[in-house]
Amino acid sequence: MAPTTLLIDKHVRYIQDLGKHTDSLAYHLTAHLRINAVYWGLVALCVMGHPDALDHDDTLAYVMSCWDDDAGAFGAHPGHDAHIHATLSAIQILAIHDALDRVDVPRVTAYILALQQPSGVFAGDAFGETDTRFLYIAVNALALLGQLDRLDKDKTVGYIRQCANFDGGFGSVAGAESHAAQVFVCTAALAILDRLDVVDVPSLGWWLAERQMASGGLNGRPEKLEDVCYSFWVLSSMSILNKMTWIDADKLIEFILSAQDPEGGGISDRPENMVDVFHTQFGVAGLSLLGYPGLQDLDPVYCMPASVIDRMGLRKGWKALPRRPL
Amino acid sequence: MAPVDIADSVPYSERPEWSDLTPVAQYENIQPLAPIFYNPDYKDATDYFRGVVKTGELSPRVLDLTETIIRLNPAHYSAWQYRYQTLIATKSSLADELILTNELTRIYLKTYQVWHHRRLLLTLLNDPLPELPFIEEILKVDVKNYHTWSYRQWLLAHYNREDMWVQELPLVERLLEEDVRNNSAWHHRFFVVFERGGADGEDTVRQELAFVKEKIALAPNNLSAWNYLRGILDHKHLPYSTQADFTKLYVVSSIALNEESVVDLENPRPSKGAQLPSAAAIEFLADVYEAEGESGLSKAVELWRSLADEHDTIRKKYWEYRIREATVAAPD
Ligand SMILES: [Zn+2]
Repeated sequence: MAPTTLLIDKHVRYIQDLGKHTDSLAYHLTAHLRINAVYWGLVALCVMGHPDALDHDDTLAYVMSCWDDDAGAFGAHPGHDAHIHATLSAIQILAIHDALDRVDVPRVTAYILALQQPSGVFAGDAFGETDTRFLYIAVNALALLGQLDRLDKDKTVGYIRQCANFDGGFGSVAGAESHAAQVFVCTAALAILDRLDVVDVPSLGWWLAERQMASGGLNGRPEKLEDVCYSFWVLSSMSILNKMTWIDADKLIEFILSAQDPEGGGISDRPENMVDVFHTQFGVAGLSLLGYPGLQDLDPVYCMPASVIDRMGLRKGWKALPRRPL
Repeated sequence: MAPVDIADSVPYSERPEWSDLTPVAQYENIQPLAPIFYNPDYKDATDYFRGVVKTGELSPRVLDLTETIIRLNPAHYSAWQYRYQTLIATKSSLADELILTNELTRIYLKTYQVWHHRRLLLTLLNDPLPELPFIEEILKVDVKNYHTWSYRQWLLAHYNREDMWVQELPLVERLLEEDVRNNSAWHHRFFVVFERGGADGEDTVRQELAFVKEKIALAPNNLSAWNYLRGILDHKHLPYSTQADFTKLYVVSSIALNEESVVDLENPRPSKGAQLPSAAAIEFLADVYEAEGESGLSKAVELWRSLADEHDTIRKKYWEYRIREATVAAPD
């Protein structure tokens, strides 16, 4: 039978054990996401009320060991080349631990700004792949570092405008199809830049509401399958646009809970599939935005514990559903 | 996405032609969170890769090494990047590289890096025409793959050649013939028709309206097609009321086919066996009534009610919001 409550203890254990299966090939093939996985795990733990489940000193030592001194930014794992995504994860982990004083802010800022292309979009690394995901990552990281003033905001917003589509959504690059994950990165970047005026709110709000399927789950594009991670991509966008009340929260909660692994912990993309830390984090994040009882607030703009963003004075005007009583 | 089995190949540590290079193990001088035990093939190749990066070597054997790593882990962005630098430095044949990339694209089409590598090659080769049939072949493997589509859109916009653009509508039509609900194909159609500028005059609009309505007739609940219809009208600033007669055919629960024997090309009727009423049609018609102002309001509310209570109950709260917004007087 599918679980009907959030199995917090199992998920905490699942996340704590993630680093222990290091002899598997899968572990190594995902080394390019390792620091991201630590960030996902840590945010899920914070939202579940167990921020200390990963050792503080070990975590900070690990983050600092990912520093790529040639590039002046963080790699995904010790010895890996710097990448903007890994750099954001490092900054986010350090911010959660109130340890941003360890970052060489001028160098990291220079690294990020140098990745902006003439069109306004950002590349992910020296390889040059561009995507609105990297644009959001840059904006988020600069905001956390208090360096947003250094960014050419008009140029950045100009590229997001180019990615707006006829259906109200946003794509990964100019001309590309609307996709919920790209809608999130564009909407959240605009929120950080105080430029939500760019969004066609009625069209986009409706496009987001249309993502809910009869199962209660959300999909990422019309006529595609539902997936737990869209609980975050879609709900975060809706909470930024203050449209959370448009979806059927009970059915979505039921869907997310049904994708838990009741034995080993963790959440998968949809019921009966293999769990991973990515979907675990986005499932828990979605539940927090839906007001699931007993969880801590998640800031959907930065995808961070709301208490951290409040402490840093960076909160924007999003609205989640009220927390339900236990 | 199964990694290619390279069990038969000789490890780099046992190859005489690599004996001059010192491999660099991961985590040198670094205290990891947990001890690491590597898959031997991958460890062997990546140790030599780190050694190569350290010495800055850009030579033909690096192409072999990076190919091994990419086949084991196509998301290894540093291997891709170093491979590209090596190709340029050794003045290797980029045409040959494209042939190899064709194979890698087929295997790893869900990986960003393989598409980005392709794009870098194309930018230098400047021969985009053969790309179009290649992409169509790749679409047969996964017809909604996001990377495949955005690569095609990049090619079209980047080269902006008439002999490329003309191939697009026939492609979209073939794909919609197979699956009328393919949102990627609908998006591509909008991109091709309306977003390249210039070619969207009155004839085009008439032709596109006819096209989308014919497809709605086939599958009246297809959101992608209704979004396309709204997209045309919004883009050309045409009122939704121009499509009221068409939409009314889709808000009833069944349609008497003998009611009207004359075929109305402007307003194709739902195909036989189509599921009616269409929630998307009810929504559209409610928008038409709402735009009429006070006189249409009660009809709009009635339609929204039917969506909330019967035809689209999962979005009940949204429809109730629409009713509240439209009926509450005195905006603040
Ligand atoms: Zn997913």
